[in-house]
Amino acid sequence: MADAAFLALSVITIGSAIAALELRSLVYGSIALMGTLGGIAGFFILLDSPFVAMFQLAVYVGSIAVLILFTVMLVKRELIFKKVEDKRRKFVGIALMLVFMVALGAVILDSGIKQITTDEPAVDFREIGDDFLTYYWPALILMGLILSGAVTGALVLARRVDEENGQRVN
Amino acid sequence: MSVIAPNFKLSEFVKSILDNIFWILLILTLIGLPAIQFILFYIEMPVINGELLTPFLALTWLADPSRSIPILKAFMATDLFRIAAFPGFGFAALIAAGTIFVERKMLAKLQLRVGPFYCGKVEGILQLMGDGLKLISKEIIIPAKADKPIFWAAPVLFVATAAAFVALIPVAPGWVVADLDVGLLAVFAVIGFFPIITILSAWSANSKFPFIGGIRALYQMVSFEIPLILSLLGVVILTGTLNLSEITASQSSFPWIIFLPIGAIVFFITMLAELERIPFDLPEAESEIVAGWLTEFSGMMYGLVQLGTYLKLYSFAALFVVLFLGGWNGPMIWPPFPEEIITEGIELGPVTAQFPGLPLFSQEMLNGTVWFVLKTVGVIFFILLPRGVFPRIRVDMLLDLGWKKLIGLAFVNIFIALGLLYAGILGPGGIL
Repeated sequence: MADAAFLALSVITIGSAIAALELRSLVYGSIALMGTLGGIAGFFILLDSPFVAMFQLAVYVGSIAVLILFTVMLVKRELIFKKVEDKRRKFVGIALMLVFMVALGAVILDSGIKQITTDEPAVDFREIGDDFLTYYWPALILMGLILSGAVTGALVLARRVDEENGQRVN
Repeated sequence: MSVIAPNFKLSEFVKSILDNIFWILLILTLIGLPAIQFILFYIEMPVINGELLTPFLALTWLADPSRSIPILKAFMATDLFRIAAFPGFGFAALIAAGTIFVERKMLAKLQLRVGPFYCGKVEGILQLMGDGLKLISKEIIIPAKADKPIFWAAPVLFVATAAAFVALIPVAPGWVVADLDVGLLAVFAVIGFFPIITILSAWSANSKFPFIGGIRALYQMVSFEIPLILSLLGVVILTGTLNLSEITASQSSFPWIIFLPIGAIVFFITMLAELERIPFDLPEAESEIVAGWLTEFSGMMYGLVQLGTYLKLYSFAALFVVLFLGGWNGPMIWPPFPEEIITEGIELGPVTAQFPGLPLFSQEMLNGTVWFVLKTVGVIFFILLPRGVFPRIRVDMLLDLGWKKLIGLAFVNIFIALGLLYAGILGPGGIL
């Protein structure tokens, strides 16, 4: 059962990733990207971490994919794309991908993934929270500062554009 | 005066009815019963009264009450029943249908109109059925340059997403389709799908009004998701769990709205915005952009979108009840099942009928369902009410409200929850 689900998810994820790259229609490409991200959420469920899976869905499919979709709909495709069919580039790209996959696979296989027992219960998200607030607190604070800096910067930028255009600010 | 059927003859009418009955019986016996038997061989059957129910015994429940009620109970314990009927789709669709009718009638009364009146003689009670038949029988028109696959898929996906939302709502103790440990996060994940479907359907129609409406829906929903999520964090902080059933069970003595009224208000306002209801119905503003992102839908596609919208309304109201109003908790008002029916059976003159296997539902479950439905209907009433009272607000006012006021208030709510937690009043290990 789990193997069938794993195979199906792999096919969906990799297939829609290839479709996202290869499809000429940008909107269909971004839908395929959503398929990839949703498939990764499925992998997280198979890996007994529903917490991460739900965040994957809420953040990547629910927000980032929407952002990409929205941007794509506002763009005239002819302005940013020129159809370049270059065989050498394609082959170099495939070769680069293979090298990257081999390197990444070697790292993952070397990391002791074979010793993992699979019958462990799911990791409780409360433990993750505990770890974040005790052992990893500098990382948490760093992340908080970066995110709040980003949000403040975005607000400042948006504000300036508003005033320059002379739009009504209520 | 015109007559509906000028050549009407009672004998012909009776003959046609008998004809139909004959053919129905014939087809059922020759095709229906064998088909049912074939299907039953592939289904895992329950154990009833100590013996395994075989396909040969399956239809005896029609004549044997000692077997029929246990079979009914075994069926009600299956996932199929939960998904399709009680805490899931059927129950929610029933409430959604009631909501549509009540909305039309109540809005009419608020605006001194009559509302649905003729269909069904009594106050237009059959109007909804008539509308449904009309939508089913209407032609589905697809715009010539529409993107057909997405345009066809959008209404179905919308209903499916709304049904997934419904599946997460606990109605009574133990009666929930999907009892997830990360239930509230699943709610956030499901809510995130609505804007995608909306913008895709709006784009695929290849028409100006749906696209404008879709973009409005997108930014409205996405920007109001932030105060929505923030306003619910107070409850999570105080209960220490994301499981919706546990959150409901934690409110057995008092609902969270008493301690977190600001969160409840923020959640209610964001709920109105997520549901695109007046005063936030900019995506469907009928005086500006025809019907917004619904403009190009016709026939049953429109019906499906409408069904999805009202399922979503029910789910949001139910989520409000579960998180802030105590869900199924309430004083026991359902009378206990009469003992003598279990012990002695029902006496009708000389005949005594025994019904082993009663009661069908426990008293707690029925009482919880009654309280849940009462509270949900109350919240739905308050969601419908602004439609008769308020005008639509401007876009800049909407964004101003969402980004500045509601997010600020949601943070105030979180700090109230944190204060209650650290003061040791509420939460795990608190004095209340």
